[in-house]
Amino acid sequence: MKGIYLLIVSLMYSASLYAQLDSIQYLNEVVLVDTKLEDFSEGYVLTKISDTIISRNPQSLTDLLNFNSNIYLKENGYGMVASPSFRGTTASQTAVIWNGIPINSNLNGQTDFNTIATSSLDNITLRSGGGSSQYGSGAIGGSVHLNNTINFIENSSNELQINVGSFSSVGGIFKRKMATEKKYLDLGVDFISSDNDYQYIDLNRKNENGEFNKLNISLNGGLLLGNNKLIWNSNYFSGTRNFSGTLTAPSIDSYKDVTSRNLLTWNLTSKKWKNTIKAAHVFERYQYYPNRENPLFFEGNSNTFIGDYQLEFNVSEKVTVSSIFNYTHIKADGTNIINESRSTLAAIFLWKHLISKRISYNINIRQEFLNDFENPLIVSIDTKYTIKEWYTLKANASKNYRVPTFNDLYWTSGGNIDLKPEISYQGELSNEFSFKYFHLNMNVFYIHSKDLISWQPGTDGIFTPLNISEAENIGFEIAGKFSKSIQKNHFNLGLNYAYTSAKNLEKNKQLIYVPFHKITGKIDYRFQQFNAYYQQLFNGKVFTTTDNNSVLDSYFVANIGLEYLFLYKTMPLKIGFKLNNIFNRYYENVAYRPMPNRNIQTTITFKF
Amino acid sequence: MKTLKNLIYLLIVFTLISSCSSDDEPLPAPLGDYENGLLITNEGPFQNGTGTITYISEDYETVEQQIFNQVNSEDLGSIVQSIGFNNDVAYIVVNNSNKIEIVNRYSFELISSITEGLMNPRYFISTGTNGYVTNWGDPFDNTDDYIAVIDLFSQTITSTIPVAFGPEKLILMNDVLYVAHQGGYGQNNILSVIDTSNNTLASTIEVGDVPNSMIVLDNYLWVLCGGNPDYTGNETNGKLVKINVSDNSVDQVFDFLTSDHPKHLSVDGSRLIYNLNGAVYSKNGADISLPQESIISGTFYAMTTKDGKLYATDAGDFASNGALKIVDLSTNSEIQSIQTGIIPGGVYFND
Repeated sequence: MKGIYLLIVSLMYSASLYAQLDSIQYLNEVVLVDTKLEDFSEGYVLTKISDTIISRNPQSLTDLLNFNSNIYLKENGYGMVASPSFRGTTASQTAVIWNGIPINSNLNGQTDFNTIATSSLDNITLRSGGGSSQYGSGAIGGSVHLNNTINFIENSSNELQINVGSFSSVGGIFKRKMATEKKYLDLGVDFISSDNDYQYIDLNRKNENGEFNKLNISLNGGLLLGNNKLIWNSNYFSGTRNFSGTLTAPSIDSYKDVTSRNLLTWNLTSKKWKNTIKAAHVFERYQYYPNRENPLFFEGNSNTFIGDYQLEFNVSEKVTVSSIFNYTHIKADGTNIINESRSTLAAIFLWKHLISKRISYNINIRQEFLNDFENPLIVSIDTKYTIKEWYTLKANASKNYRVPTFNDLYWTSGGNIDLKPEISYQGELSNEFSFKYFHLNMNVFYIHSKDLISWQPGTDGIFTPLNISEAENIGFEIAGKFSKSIQKNHFNLGLNYAYTSAKNLEKNKQLIYVPFHKITGKIDYRFQQFNAYYQQLFNGKVFTTTDNNSVLDSYFVANIGLEYLFLYKTMPLKIGFKLNNIFNRYYENVAYRPMPNRNIQTTITFKF
Repeated sequence: MKTLKNLIYLLIVFTLISSCSSDDEPLPAPLGDYENGLLITNEGPFQNGTGTITYISEDYETVEQQIFNQVNSEDLGSIVQSIGFNNDVAYIVVNNSNKIEIVNRYSFELISSITEGLMNPRYFISTGTNGYVTNWGDPFDNTDDYIAVIDLFSQTITSTIPVAFGPEKLILMNDVLYVAHQGGYGQNNILSVIDTSNNTLASTIEVGDVPNSMIVLDNYLWVLCGGNPDYTGNETNGKLVKINVSDNSVDQVFDFLTSDHPKHLSVDGSRLIYNLNGAVYSKNGADISLPQESIISGTFYAMTTKDGKLYATDAGDFASNGALKIVDLSTNSEIQSIQTGIIPGGVYFND
């Protein structure tokens, strides 16, 4: 376990080694609930987003990934519904995995990234490439892993952060951690409220009906009993948002969502064997109010029950095998779905072989049963070859799938119960160069997807989903990091570039809302307790119509931030200022929805 | 050399004379760039965008997109639902933006806008002194639907007439306004009859479920009702209803099969044209039963007829530019297919 964590740490953005309030407590027994993310994915590119980076965008996963990853995020106005596109795939083809449990909505197949409170997480890992064999439906372009860690290290700490910013934004984060060598407990409460009524640059108008408030409560606990580990993860989220209008249409609607996730993991480890039993419940509810003044709403609810047993066996020093049986039962109902359910049994086999110290590979196989679909056999293979100490080659190939959502199947009117799962084949080659100060990653990928589900108008004028589209995504990604310390001055630079061609093969046109180019960059400077940083984002033009006749212009946004840590003995505190959109650029991420003008965010963090 | 100079002078003089003489011919001054020809309303994307208007010249040779924006340098608004006319003024009804843009129908220059008093406006019709606009109000409230009455002199809403839910298309016959209650996002089954002399609701006429289009033929009002769709759990058949406007009584009803939901009633000479199950059908007004054979295949988003031609729109995938198809009804063959904007929902003749 220790070795794995060291690996994580070494792979992390080196920024994580910086002045974090609790940076002392590394090592010892640190438990990641989702072990297969590290153990059976060597041939995949894993990008870690550390808690330092997370803390700079503490209340929006959308902002965080926009500025720190190659994932393109489509946000329907600031703070509104935000959906990701990993390598040009759709939002429902990007799996979001919370402590190993898939949490994409059963109703629309997506995760709204503005409903994820990043402060409740210890790390976020982006796993590029297909992951269906391990993570099931929807892990086509890649997966976003939201992880909590359990640290069995003597500790008792409290942290309180207060955020105040433009547009009457007020937020607070409270975290309490208590741990001994045998017990661990953390509690996090995160609240934010904003009027979100920013001025549209060069227009005599404000963002109207954009108010939101969000509450997130998380609780994680662990018990160490000899060779047994018992871990509990819980998260509750409740949000109310009005949906802001567009340049051409006013809005009076409102949206409420509630999610809760509970996961119990029991882990029994011996020298050769590792047994993990998991039980989980995931609940989601949305309520859409077409008129915020009226009590009328439309809703959807879903409950997911998961039972999971994983047996891992070290056949020899070089070979590890693992089998997983996962039973998932989903129930959904709502205004447009009347009491539907689905049960799925998945059998997964993982094989890991370290051929030598330099070469390893994994083979993963998954087959599902019970549900009514023609379940494809899902296979993936990945390999890692350390050619030189400074040069590593990774490659993977996989078949992946996405099952139709409950909306696709049962929505009245239009749902189509005859849909098949979407199928995708992908391959990826990655080169990693690692030097003392410099780290470079270059990936090329290819994804071919067929039987893609697309809602089409029928002869009766009613839209219905059909397995008719086919897409081909080709692209490359470059990620460079540079970090160096000159005496007490620490510099840390990062640059990401992604080129994505994602074509609808019938029309031979780029898919809508997939930019060809995305560039993110950051510069970070630290001197003792002082820290300054600069973040920037270039988002290339996107097409907004399927015939590529309408274009939404590219945009460039940059933020700067300053932080100072006061090392008071009784109560250390950190003060931070962040100026977003420093050049006050007008931009739209989704057509006709202007994004915020220059704005300020201030944070003060107490540790006691 | 001198000869050459003289020749050039001569040439110039002749040119001047000939150009003067052509100016002397009396030509009517053009009313604007968009006189005659077709106007297509394009609703625009469901959200995050603007609707547009496409101009197509009478000979189909000139096609200009986004003419409102071209002339006025501003977006028209979200979901351009329809256009109504009064003399040389066009009233463009923009549903989701809750407004009407008033332009000169030939030049498309903006005259005025109505932004107050409209809520989900749908269709406009003029009596010459007043304009009438159907409004859904809050689409999820079935009790707040109304007709807004516009004083065409001041271009403002002067009164409203509350009506049953889901008012949609309007037709004017002998100072009587017939309003088809298609039923908004739901279903309704009546026509409202409004006396335009005092702007009051005179009566209602029960027709079939979901009255979606109306035409006038031989002094009868014909109403095409789509019937309740299957997903309502209470599917009903489409109906073609013939109304005697002298006493507003139902004269005749033609029943379709329960699973048949016809749309887009238009008139070509003495025959009625409509769209059903992926085909276009033609029924002579005097025929005693509905036709069994179709004349053209296709499912259209909007459809209308004029001078022996069918003008039908295809909205494609609703996320890219659509097309207008022009079919000669004497041969039932397509003459032209012309690109429009996104979701072409209305065809109008600008003459």
